Amino acid sequence: MVLFLKRLLQLKLKYLAKIYIWRTNPFVIVVAGTTNRHWIKECILEALKEKGISCRGNKKNFNAEIGLPLSVLGVYSETDDDSKIRRWFNVLLKSARAAFFEKATDYLVLEMAIDKPDDMEYLLGIIKPQAAVFTTITMIYPENFSNLDEIAAEYRRLIKRLPKSGMAILNADDERIISLKEYSPARVFTYGIESPDPGFMAKDITKSLAGQEFLIQTADLKTKTVKINKFGQHHIYAELVKEVIVGGIIAKS
Amino acid sequence: MFQRTQNINLSPIKTMELLASKIPDVVSLAQGIPSFDTPEIVKKAAIKALNRGVVAKYSLTYGLLELRETIEQKLAEDGMFYDFEKEIIAVAGSIEGITATLIATIEPQKDEVIIFSPDYTSYAEAIKVAGGKPVYVNLIESSSAKASEDKNEGWKIDIADLKQKISSRTAAIMFSNPNNPTGVIFSKDDLLKIADLINGTEAFIISDEVYKDFIYLNAYSRFSLAQIPELRKKIIRIFSLSKAYAMAGWRIGFLHSDEENIKEILKIHDSLVTCAPVIAQHAAMAALDYGDREVAKFVSEFHKRRDIMCSYLDELKDFFEYQKPNGSYFVFPKIKQINTDFSLINTNKMDDNLKKMIQGSKSWQFALELLYNAHVVVVPGLAFGPAGENHIRLSFGRRQKDIEEGMRRIKKYLANSH
Repeated sequence: MVLFLKRLLQLKLKYLAKIYIWRTNPFVIVVAGTTNRHWIKECILEALKEKGISCRGNKKNFNAEIGLPLSVLGVYSETDDDSKIRRWFNVLLKSARAAFFEKATDYLVLEMAIDKPDDMEYLLGIIKPQAAVFTTITMIYPENFSNLDEIAAEYRRLIKRLPKSGMAILNADDERIISLKEYSPARVFTYGIESPDPGFMAKDITKSLAGQEFLIQTADLKTKTVKINKFGQHHIYAELVKEVIVGGIIAKS
Repeated sequence: MFQRTQNINLSPIKTMELLASKIPDVVSLAQGIPSFDTPEIVKKAAIKALNRGVVAKYSLTYGLLELRETIEQKLAEDGMFYDFEKEIIAVAGSIEGITATLIATIEPQKDEVIIFSPDYTSYAEAIKVAGGKPVYVNLIESSSAKASEDKNEGWKIDIADLKQKISSRTAAIMFSNPNNPTGVIFSKDDLLKIADLINGTEAFIISDEVYKDFIYLNAYSRFSLAQIPELRKKIIRIFSLSKAYAMAGWRIGFLHSDEENIKEILKIHDSLVTCAPVIAQHAAMAALDYGDREVAKFVSEFHKRRDIMCSYLDELKDFFEYQKPNGSYFVFPKIKQINTDFSLINTNKMDDNLKKMIQGSKSWQFALELLYNAHVVVVPGLAFGPAGENHIRLSFGRRQKDIEEGMRRIKKYLANSH
């Protein structure tokens, strides 16, 4: 019974999210991959907000079958507990209201999580991204994927669905991610730290107590120094993606 | 035989619970675990992980990647920036994190760890397990019962004494904040003074913040030394989900510090437990992602229970004086004008270690008196270090009806016998 209600809820949310997208027509950027989606999404949102562009992203882990449509609609349940029927009824009401009346946003920046084969197909049935960032492919769902190439196959579905006018932003340091390049109908931008020739490159990385400092070299060989107060290579990747978005989307909008 | 363990004692809290288990109809105000059950959302996440078949294998020694990413995000919300890949370890409860940290930091020529008195009872034993020597610095209890309410200064760190005790042998200064058992929240000024004192030394600060969510001050902005970037190589911060998310039995927590420290602690963590329990790691992820509302509910409930317990203590002002706790879920009243009649307690069946501990300790004798005569379990203050003597610890983390019943029994017993 609970499972049936959950499926029903999922279906209703899917169509309400589609109604919202059809009505408001936002530019959709998705961040896909098995790690580092959060910080890349945050960096993109920061770049858009800095330019005064209206945008919205998912909160917490609202990034799969139920969470993603809720993120599109800007509705958040306080938990993802699927057992409280009354709470979900309220969520459904709020979602219906949002589908028809929630104000439009120019950009939706959404983390997209898959934990089993065919999840991607389902999520792509809800949103049609114009740009997609691909982070890494690591083994985090061993029960549903027998190897990393199976996960890569899911991301292949995503990249193939990008429009010709869209953007595929690929991590050149991850071999499976960069091999998606050949399937992209959209323009491809690459970023990296370790690979010999990524389009957007970070180099001269230094770490101090205050954070990290590095040089970003863009595809047209312009350079800029970036200082951040966060630690770890994943934040450098996030800054690189931000740079791609600033140059590729924001500058043209 | 067992030379290494000769000076290591079972926690007095467990000793009291063990003694209590032999007595029928006892109310416990001793245990430091919350009365609540783990939130449903957390249990469901664990069941889901179990059914997915992802909990039978080890995780990486650091812990699940997804959990550490979540921890990094939670830390960033509190102004602490640590790399999930290299600077965070999921541990099997805070005590495992503490022990691993102590083993990693204590060296033959740097074997002293300064702890406050009173402070968490297991610190001294964990230091001894790691081959170190606990060095106590007393917290000073205010003589004004209102100090805690007015200025959050019920108990203050004796900074002069601390300064004197720091030497080339100091491996670390370790403390809980908010403090267990006093409930005091150390001021930002005092914490910065500690940081100043170790500047230029090789000592670390081990900050145990398991009660960080249980704060009952209005307009209090949470502060941790781990928020200061310049101190990141000196601070090892430890957090457990046991208290805040009612997950004591799951044995899950995390610690974080600069990469240089973490890579050394990781070696010990690997030797001790390989990795934190994987099912608990999945549960922790749900707790950190979706548990905030539950935590807020717990805090509000504990706030209410604190006031109930304090109102009983107010009625017992002839017997106790106390500082109202602003954090954690403990009150640490001082015993006054009570002459314990220890001859009434049968010590025949007690082991020698226990008898030794009890001799000359008013807090032990009073705790046993309450256990045997009022059927209420409390923790003797001496368990928390020498400055804890003449106090008892009462937990308002217990159920409200237990608090009320326990305090009623204490009140009745004291009224009739003293």
